[in-house]
Amino acid sequence: MSAITARIFNAGTARVVALYAASFAVAIFLSGLLVQVTGGSPLDVIRALYEGSLGSPQDIGLTIDESVPVLIVALGVIITSRAGIVNIGPEGQLLIGGLCGAAVSLRLAVPGVAMVPATLLAAAAGGAAWAGIAALLRYWRNVDVVISTLLLNFLAIQLVSFAVNRPYLLQEKLTGGGTASPTSDPIPSDARLPLLGQTGTMTFTSGTIIAVVALVVVGLMVTRSRWGFKLRMLGLNAEAARRAGVRAAALGTGALLLSGAFAGLAGGVVLSDRAFRIQTGFSNNMGFNGLLVALIARRNPWATVPVAILFGILRAGGGFVATTGVPRYVVDVMQALIVLAALFPPLVDKVNERRRAMRIARDEAAATAASSATPTLEVAR
Amino acid sequence: MDALTTIMGSAMRQTAPLAFASCGEYTAERSGTLNISIEGMMLGGAFFGVVGTAVTDTVVGGLVLGSFVGLLVAVVHANFSHRLSANTFVVGLSLNALMLGLTSFLLESTDFSSRRAGVLEIPLLKEIPVLGEALFSNRWPFYLLVVVIPLTRFLVDRTRWGLEVRSVGEDPQAADVTGIDVNKRRRQSLYYCGLMSGLGGAYLSVAEVGLFNQNMVAGGGFLVNAAVIFGAWRLGGTLAGCLLFGTAASVQLALPALGHTITPQLLIALPYVLALATMVAFARRGRQPAALAQPFERGIA
Amino acid sequence: MFGPVSLMPDIAVEPTPAGAAPAIEMRGITKRFGAVAACDEVELCVEPGEIHGLLGQNGAGKSTLMKVLLGLMTPDSGHIRLHGEPVVISDPIDAAKHGMAMVHQHFSLVEALTVWENVALGDVGRLDPKATAQLVRDVGERYGLAVDPHARVRDLTTGERQRVELIKCLRRDPSILILDEPTSVLTRAESQELFAVLRTVVKDESRAVVLISHKLDEILHATDEVTIMRGGRVVRRARTADTTAESLATDMVGRTIDLGLDAVAALGFAAETVEELADEEHDDHAADRTILRVEDLHAVNEVGTPLLRGLSLTVRAGEILGLAGVEGNGQSALTAVLSDLLVPTTGSVHVGDEAVATGKAGAMVAAGIGVIPEDRHRTGCILDLSVAENLAFLDLEQVSGRLFLDRNEMRRRAEALVEEYEVSLPSLDAPMRMLSGGNQQKVVLARELTRNPRVLVAEQPTHGLDVGAVQFMNSRLRAAAEAGIGVLLISTELEELIALSDRIAVIHGGRIMGEMPAHQVDVEKLGLMMGGRAA
Repeated sequence: MSAITARIFNAGTARVVALYAASFAVAIFLSGLLVQVTGGSPLDVIRALYEGSLGSPQDIGLTIDESVPVLIVALGVIITSRAGIVNIGPEGQLLIGGLCGAAVSLRLAVPGVAMVPATLLAAAAGGAAWAGIAALLRYWRNVDVVISTLLLNFLAIQLVSFAVNRPYLLQEKLTGGGTASPTSDPIPSDARLPLLGQTGTMTFTSGTIIAVVALVVVGLMVTRSRWGFKLRMLGLNAEAARRAGVRAAALGTGALLLSGAFAGLAGGVVLSDRAFRIQTGFSNNMGFNGLLVALIARRNPWATVPVAILFGILRAGGGFVATTGVPRYVVDVMQALIVLAALFPPLVDKVNERRRAMRIARDEAAATAASSATPTLEVAR
Repeated sequence: MDALTTIMGSAMRQTAPLAFASCGEYTAERSGTLNISIEGMMLGGAFFGVVGTAVTDTVVGGLVLGSFVGLLVAVVHANFSHRLSANTFVVGLSLNALMLGLTSFLLESTDFSSRRAGVLEIPLLKEIPVLGEALFSNRWPFYLLVVVIPLTRFLVDRTRWGLEVRSVGEDPQAADVTGIDVNKRRRQSLYYCGLMSGLGGAYLSVAEVGLFNQNMVAGGGFLVNAAVIFGAWRLGGTLAGCLLFGTAASVQLALPALGHTITPQLLIALPYVLALATMVAFARRGRQPAALAQPFERGIA
Repeated sequence: MFGPVSLMPDIAVEPTPAGAAPAIEMRGITKRFGAVAACDEVELCVEPGEIHGLLGQNGAGKSTLMKVLLGLMTPDSGHIRLHGEPVVISDPIDAAKHGMAMVHQHFSLVEALTVWENVALGDVGRLDPKATAQLVRDVGERYGLAVDPHARVRDLTTGERQRVELIKCLRRDPSILILDEPTSVLTRAESQELFAVLRTVVKDESRAVVLISHKLDEILHATDEVTIMRGGRVVRRARTADTTAESLATDMVGRTIDLGLDAVAALGFAAETVEELADEEHDDHAADRTILRVEDLHAVNEVGTPLLRGLSLTVRAGEILGLAGVEGNGQSALTAVLSDLLVPTTGSVHVGDEAVATGKAGAMVAAGIGVIPEDRHRTGCILDLSVAENLAFLDLEQVSGRLFLDRNEMRRRAEALVEEYEVSLPSLDAPMRMLSGGNQQKVVLARELTRNPRVLVAEQPTHGLDVGAVQFMNSRLRAAAEAGIGVLLISTELEELIALSDRIAVIHGGRIMGEMPAHQVDVEKLGLMMGGRAA
């Protein structure tokens, strides 16, 4: 453990913290400036953000609810990015997950107790299958995962739109006449996640439990297990991994399937915890947010938690900002700026690292030239 | 006016903004950047196109300011990705979110009323049956495509700059050895992409619609990505992709009015399916720039 | 048969045609790295209108000398004249301005572009397709380098690509053309075509050509004059006509390779190891216990150039088989096949009596083949993993339970190995990247040996190491053989091979040219085989 503490509290830590603080300060300052010049009050916005996300137990509950799917998606993305695979399709995988969950809960006669697990499993399977398309194309036809997952996002939207516009598929059935909207019926109450408890106005949803379990499982698996180690080897050095017996196609496919499954599961959780219906706006950027959380956390599963909560705060507090008269979109601006700001400190590190590597390379080149000349000189007398 | 003419005309209007942006994205992808911030560039271009038009009271002012804002987005993206080596997808996604948020925010907190570019009809040519109306009776900025498309082709295929851009997208190591500044060419290609995407966005708001709606690009930026893939990284194919996607969109809009009940989702999905199908068909043949989406760092090995 | 060869440059044979200043005149060039001189008072004099061969093994100082000439390195002392004018060359662009052009060993062509586009790349000014295409045709016609200017480079054969490289250089009308091992990837017919071109270049146009090569045939057939370097010095300079393959081979390799204890000590053995070595009877291993049998391996790279052409060899348990040869003759491909990184087109690998599936991830490691690769950064270690992890990644099952890694066990194992192999490091959790080259190599060695492999392949294991690390590595390799491991030592340094090996085989052009016992090395024969002559 001392090694870990040493790693956290090494000499550069203060500098890193200072860098992050400075970057975030700039991001927040710019957002404030935007509010100021358009005639709003930055302080009011900050206060509203706080009130809306952390101000009361109820709001904290809301923040957690917003963080949960983002966190689950991010955990899945961590798996692929550790294997060196860029999956930018969680948004679509989440949507398909929600769609499959809705289909199962609305159309299959699953006995009551099994309803919630069936819904969540269907969601995970749907997300996995959607990511599986990308894996198939990658290892069968060598199609870039970046491109396929990007395109599959848009196909997912149309697939959901198709389903919720067809009465024979998932479109809602209105009993009392009127025009059916492009949305599904609400899922049966059996398929809804139970509310775990309530203290005062703060509710605990079981989605939180799922996220915590997912965090522990993914966190342990990627950092501690043999499988997680192989993922990292594949991502860091495919050739060394191959020699050590890691089969890239099998492991890569597995990583993509799991990553999709987590995004799908996130969709399932949103469906049976809060949304209860599937429609095209269902994913509401949660997939993209989760992707960003994972990328900011830089492959560290534990680091996804604070980042996901930060996103949850912005998502939850955003709704509250409108009360100040400042358009709530300022939160989106702030969120994007914070993401860009979070990129800075690692880049500073990287630049330093690169300089050091160059120096070592130069020294070694000189040493090589020197040593290869040595034996010949000594021996050939 | 028969249905076909209507659809053709609408298809052209749907295609034009995509075509402007795709000229830029085509160039950027040839240099090795898979740029997913076109959406943000176009949104910026659309909003500030309206601002520019309102402030200068001329459409030209709007187009210029729109392009400039697209360029600004590109400058941020390029310097993060190809100077600081930040992950291009994180940067791209954030910039999209930023521009969507910013334009939505500004739309609500400011008030600009735009004017709309006038229709320019080309005499005689306009009389050509079916196509004439669609091609030769448009808002005047439409005809900028006649400049932009050949310009792009010329830049990429005929100039030394373009040759270097292509070499940088195919084999950055070899290009580097030959004395070409790889990341500089990639940044410049992205700047061009920003200018063109901003222009495409400004065209959308200033020329076609005459005002800015929240999220008015609505995924068009990603369609441009799909078009370049569909076109297998050829300018002609890319533009054909834009036309196909534009037509699909206009058919989808026109169908209800014509009393048809074809599935709109299939039409909207068509571009993406086609792009994927092209990838499946061509991926093995390596039609994509060999170093696409691979950051370049001079050999440390 | 041969007179004694002085180490001093043989300046007496230097012919200077009356009136014409030499195209290149390098005098007293010395370049030191620390205490070692990569180039020691080197003299090189190249006349216009001749092809001048620069012959030498790896590390003889050829590339350092050329780097000095091209302005990539500044010499510690010495001066350069080009066409009689004293010059100071600051960088390659400056060198180009002085009329020098170099064809590099590794192609610098962009495959997706056409020939004329590649020729135009790196120029400045307006791009003129027609003129450039015509230029390609003109230059091609003038030198017999026929190539379609509109063809895509990816569709060209290796020989045609070489032509494009040459056209790229010649179109700049250089007065001095330098070719670095130009034929290493060419077929015989292609090389002959190349030499015909070079002949035209010097004869009709009075350019000067420097041909850097290790191939004796090439030097004999293509050059007018030859400078032979060894150990950073010029050992001989002669009219090619006055040389024979045998004399060139001897000069290149060094005729007096002394295998006495001093030489072994010079290679960095501790005294006690030397004594052990001296006591040892080499024919102990004669009993045929073949542990590695490689048969008829053929392999090609992505563009179809052959890397291995029917390579066969055997290594016995408890011996060190030294594989000699000049860099780029298939050594890396052999290592790659034995690391599961290259799938051979035909051929088999047996460890003991069992055939190993080639090209199946992990098969070679499972069969007991340990590898110390030449490029440890690429395949030998994972720079971003910790030292402990690098020590364990081939034996995950030994440091983990059913599912989870046992970090404590991993650390214990790493601690023991780090101590045993004298690795100095900041911490076991430090990323591999933080270690010096010598310590990285020790980590690789420790990981491979601790698995008790049946075969150990070591490719240039002492490359880039300091003297202490070299000594350590060599004694470990020897100890490994004594423990019964079959060691395949691949090296370009003959002295190292002779000092360590029991037998020496020579690789050239992707196949084995022949072998001999290390204690009765025939230097001349060795040199001939390394130069591609069957002996």
